[in-house]
Amino acid sequence: MNRLIHAELVKARASRTVRVLAVLAPLTCMLWAGLGVALLGLEGRMPAEDRIRNVYAMAQQAYLFTLLLGILGTAGEFRHQTITWRFLVTPDRGRVVSAKLAAYGIVGLAVAAVSAAATVAAGALLLHLGGHPVTAPGVPAALLGAVLAVTGYGLLGVGLGALIRNQTAAVAVALIWFMYADYLLTMLLPGLGRWLPTGAARALAGMSMENAELLPAWAGGPLFAAYVLAAVLAARLTTLRRDVT
Amino acid sequence: MSAITVTRLSKSFGAVRAVDDLSFTVGPGTITAFLGPNGAGKTTTLRMILGLVTPDSGSAAIGGGPYRDLVDPVAAVGAVLEAAAFHPGLTARAHLEILRTAAGLAPERVDHVLDQVDLTGAADRRAGGFSLGMRQRLALATALLGDPAVLILDEPANGLDPAGAHWLRGFLRAYALQGRTVLVSTHVLAEIQQIADHVIIISDGRAVFTGPLAPGSDLEELYLEATR
Repeated sequence: MNRLIHAELVKARASRTVRVLAVLAPLTCMLWAGLGVALLGLEGRMPAEDRIRNVYAMAQQAYLFTLLLGILGTAGEFRHQTITWRFLVTPDRGRVVSAKLAAYGIVGLAVAAVSAAATVAAGALLLHLGGHPVTAPGVPAALLGAVLAVTGYGLLGVGLGALIRNQTAAVAVALIWFMYADYLLTMLLPGLGRWLPTGAARALAGMSMENAELLPAWAGGPLFAAYVLAAVLAARLTTLRRDVT
Repeated sequence: MSAITVTRLSKSFGAVRAVDDLSFTVGPGTITAFLGPNGAGKTTTLRMILGLVTPDSGSAAIGGGPYRDLVDPVAAVGAVLEAAAFHPGLTARAHLEILRTAAGLAPERVDHVLDQVDLTGAADRRAGGFSLGMRQRLALATALLGDPAVLILDEPANGLDPAGAHWLRGFLRAYALQGRTVLVSTHVLAEIQQIADHVIIISDGRAVFTGPLAPGSDLEELYLEATR
């Protein structure tokens, strides 16, 4: 198993796409943190401490990049038909996907940690320059939650990429689902929001979501993990059993 | 004991019966030509032997058991499948390094197989820029990573220039002389006639000829007769 995980990491390191996404993730977080600081000056109902914590919670915005990394790392093998080589070397297809989960967990954790560090650096600097308090209660917990959630999205990407072998379709489904559909559903059915993957991830990251009462952070994590597990199990029962032609 | 045993193998795709009750064996230390018209079921048969396609009925054994049960598949079998694919953004070396790592082989195997297929000079170029002939060489290098006892090749000469085809013939002949087994599907009868010991011809998913290729016999005539 270790050598399969190592092979995935060799592949991730050799790929230009992985490098680009890994660099874009912290940059995006810094932009969001900047936006959060800029909006601090506006009048709002939210207490100032919560709004400062939310600046650091922007570390969660790296989720899109780890999600894409997971999808491309799995569905990309089908797109380029390199999955044939992988299954020839490792005929046990479930092990190939397990190795991808482990590898993209590691890659996702690295991207998440760097993104969190970048968010802290940009957020603290901009808060200080803006004359705001640089920290608030709950910031370390928000950062830790963001790192876990961003890593989790990488795992979810692997599951989705295994389930939806068409890379373009997998990316489209993921973007529509996690950027729009979950929010739309939450708006339409407020009681449902906390049970959706986005609600679970936001609970884990200690963020709020409009129109939705979120689960506590300790429950958001296992719920999100259940979504990952469901995607992987569904893939093992369907797409992974199909003929590779 | 035979190196490859195919027993009453059948596979349908929708209404199309691609392989129909096909049986044959491939002996060790031989080069066996696997021939048949387009759509005869050659590629499907090879993919079933390799565990990539699940048969509707029947079985394929390689080295004594199904491919999926092999303890060390890359040492048992190397395969070059039709239109072998690579990630266009990865170099030839990176592609081989990923699979070498997954197979748990010694690091020097990568340089060795690159040298075996004469691709050392292009090792650090991205596979996306490779010609068809170079892709075939890289595919063969991948198949050779585990120094396998059996080679299964689907149209390996496709895209090779005359010098490349000549080189491949010599390579396969030397491979079989070491006591290893080669099963090669091809349409280029004149090429394979020069090196094959055995012939399996299939048509509409069924075997229409299996037997040794006698020296001096005309493979084209045999093929046309069998597939008529």
